[in-house]
Amino acid sequence: MALLTVRNLNTQFHTAAGSVSAVNGVSFQVDSGETVGIVGESGSGKSVTVLSLTQLLPNPPGEVSAGEAIFDQRDLLKLSDNEMRKIRGNRIAMIFQDPMTSLNPVLTIERQMTEALQLHLKMTAKEARDRAIDLLDRVGIPSAAQRIKNHPHQFSGGMRQRVMIAMGLACDPQLLIADEPTTALDVTIQAQIVELVKELRQKNNMAIIWITHDLSLLAGIADRILVMYAGQIVESAPLHPLYENPRHPYTLGLLQSLPRLDEARRTRLNPVKGLPPDLLNYPTGCPFAPRCPFVIEQCYEEDPPLESVGDGHQAACWVQPRGDEVLAEFRQAENSNR
Amino acid sequence: MTQNLAQAESTDILEPRSRRTHRFFKDLLRTQSAKLGAAICLVLVLMAVFAPLIAPYDPINMGAGQALTPPNLAHWFGTDELGRDLFSRIVYGSRLTLQVGAIAVGISMTAGVLIGLVAGYAGGWIEAILMRMVDVLFSFTETLIALAAVAVLGPSLTNAMIAVGISSIPFYARITYGAVLVEKNKEYFKAAQAVGARHQRLIFRHILPNILSPIIVVATLGVSIAVLSASALSFLGLGAQPPSPEWGATLAAGRDYFKRAPWITTFPGLAIAITVLGFNLLGDGLREALDPQQRR
Amino acid sequence: MTQYIFKRILGGLFTIWVTTVAVTLLIHLVPGDPVQIMFAQSQSTTPEQLEQIRQQLGLDRPIYEQYFLYMGRILQGDFGTTIRGNQPVLELLLVRLPNTLLLAASSLLVTMVVGVSAGFFAAYKRDTWIDTGLMTGAILGISIPSFWLGLMLMYVFSIRLGWLPVSGTDLKNLILPALTLGLANAAAVSRLTRSSMIDVFSQDFMRTARAKGLAETVVLSRHAFRNGMINVVNMLGLQFTYMMGGAIVVENVFAWNGIGRLAIQSIFQRDYPTIQGFILIFATVVVTVSILLDILYAWIDPRIKYS
Repeated sequence: MALLTVRNLNTQFHTAAGSVSAVNGVSFQVDSGETVGIVGESGSGKSVTVLSLTQLLPNPPGEVSAGEAIFDQRDLLKLSDNEMRKIRGNRIAMIFQDPMTSLNPVLTIERQMTEALQLHLKMTAKEARDRAIDLLDRVGIPSAAQRIKNHPHQFSGGMRQRVMIAMGLACDPQLLIADEPTTALDVTIQAQIVELVKELRQKNNMAIIWITHDLSLLAGIADRILVMYAGQIVESAPLHPLYENPRHPYTLGLLQSLPRLDEARRTRLNPVKGLPPDLLNYPTGCPFAPRCPFVIEQCYEEDPPLESVGDGHQAACWVQPRGDEVLAEFRQAENSNR
Repeated sequence: MTQNLAQAESTDILEPRSRRTHRFFKDLLRTQSAKLGAAICLVLVLMAVFAPLIAPYDPINMGAGQALTPPNLAHWFGTDELGRDLFSRIVYGSRLTLQVGAIAVGISMTAGVLIGLVAGYAGGWIEAILMRMVDVLFSFTETLIALAAVAVLGPSLTNAMIAVGISSIPFYARITYGAVLVEKNKEYFKAAQAVGARHQRLIFRHILPNILSPIIVVATLGVSIAVLSASALSFLGLGAQPPSPEWGATLAAGRDYFKRAPWITTFPGLAIAITVLGFNLLGDGLREALDPQQRR
Repeated sequence: MTQYIFKRILGGLFTIWVTTVAVTLLIHLVPGDPVQIMFAQSQSTTPEQLEQIRQQLGLDRPIYEQYFLYMGRILQGDFGTTIRGNQPVLELLLVRLPNTLLLAASSLLVTMVVGVSAGFFAAYKRDTWIDTGLMTGAILGISIPSFWLGLMLMYVFSIRLGWLPVSGTDLKNLILPALTLGLANAAAVSRLTRSSMIDVFSQDFMRTARAKGLAETVVLSRHAFRNGMINVVNMLGLQFTYMMGGAIVVENVFAWNGIGRLAIQSIFQRDYPTIQGFILIFATVVVTVSILLDILYAWIDPRIKYS
């Protein structure tokens, strides 16, 4: 069942140099209990998309100019500030990239955890405190009852992100939006956080939107993946089809640039060459065309629509290369090079 | 090593000096407020240089008009208790104001920059002692230092300039010291040190040119502070003495006639405020032009 | 924390010690004979009297001996007597000190209330005409000499409107001096508050707070304000020091009977014992209050509190 349905979301930034479309006609759906990964380079509009949905985009300069986002039969984009606040932190929770700066340095963890509980669940201070300790315990903070009195700077980065997650889970949200929650952490901690979220997802039956620029990270957690490029969704597919047979050259490029665990050298062999387009001078045609190895004449003339290429698999490409064949060839070449 | 050195200097080589100067002034005058500040300072300098041509009357000798005449067409700013033309006094006063600014800032900048340079460069116990002293002086406030200096030297405008100059030394020392510490940790400096440059060369050829920007900004803002402090001393009777047309002293003299002739206190105060405003705006503009990172 | 406080107190004691050395040297830095200069204004003094004064001040002895003599007297609470009238300096100062402290404290209150609210509001309304207007006011405020502002306020409220007395020592007389000194410094505080708040508003934890669904007033007061105030409270000690310095000037504008007014009079009269006493008391007060305010700062900012 659809928990969140986003249709034709458009978000613009009004800057001194002109207006910029940061999100350009994005549509997707998140079912309850489902985990959707959004992957893309920085500036591809993935964070702006979720900030738009929760009305957290600073305005000015940002502005949602079109679209709808139906959550529980209501359009999030049309909610008043007051109505939106009743949903944020309560039914839709968010955790952000940098746990070092996302917690308030002058307030205790207790204060920061209990304020949402007292607000949304109308708990007393005592009840909220007990629940906060329980939550911290669940995300794996040792001796939570003592640690809750501490300030953020007394925690390590990984521990802070655990606190952020505990805060996000406080009111048992139906949807958790995780905006690059592990980017600032080192690899071992990253894995721990992913495991933690997986575990909690099962217990709470909550849907997750997980934003990252690291496609490999999503392999262990996402049910479906959206690939964003220059403010658009260029490919959308369930996990395995996307990894095994990507149909958009950009996704293909991302997969080819992944370090391979079975290799002795874990180097990034083949990053996607070139830079994303300047959103101020948005090109006609496909935005990926200048970087695309499969480019044909038509790509420069017309922007390809997002079309179905298989069961629940969509791609926005005129060529739609056979990703499975390209990847097989690529790996063979890689192996013979060694 | 030498490659590092070349890299550090390459930004200077890339752009010809004239173009850099041009761009600097363009940056400086980018904002309306910096333009206003520059205009005020320019007017002040012109007023000081051409004072005899601008002022319609003698600033010190009596007989320009009747005493305590309110502002009118003949006496734009009115006359004081001795019948002197207030406008002429203020025009001549601008000379003293600029002198105060130049001498006071000259003293504090020279001494402060030297202390900051030595402390920051030398490190060790020299640094500890010098900066500890600067901290102590800093906690005394400029007003107290200036008052102590005047108490020693005796009241006069020259002494007030010196006193104000001394009072700001810790300020410049701190700014310089901070900037030196930053430069000392940069690659180009370590490279120069590694190739065995002498102390003098390291200090004056490498560090000093690189820390000039913050010092220039502080010096411009420092003129404002110096003008304010010196006029305050004169107002208290510890600086310029009658019949000097110094603005603070003129203002103070008008206090006795405050009820009947408020213009005597109003106009010199306005002159001080506008001058200080001019240097403040110019200083803010310079800061933005020289240090783009600090732009808000 | 205790270590931090201990370090600050040690630093403060050092400053006061340097002050004692400085005031002993002060008299020797005077060009010419200080005793003659002190009495230059009164013609009737005989050379014998001068010699007696010289002995009294210990000026005929080596300088280190003078220092220990002076220190010995200071530690017993004897700051000497005024050159004219032979009044005990310490008593003169201590009678007036509360007036100066009252003026400085109430000015600080004006500065904080006006400066912080203006700066906060300007930051919140950043890049609107409200911001531009407030910051134009601030740069004007920084540029206006306090003594002139005082005289202009006096002209409007006392002479023209007749609402407040021109001078005196009632609490009613405190209003104009405190307003003068407070407003003169509010400009700088408002600029500091603004830039500090703009910094806070762009922080990630603000977004976290909003993501929790907190009301905007709660986000601003609980999450933004306290963080923004850290920088401002950090400057409180320095601000108080500015207030004490500014009080010297403003006391003389309004004839407020504090130690600043006494100091200017004694500089006129070249009354060195009083000047020395004033500098010592002033430095001690400034150092003590700064330490107290720093402790308050450490208490507000948990990052210092526990380190």
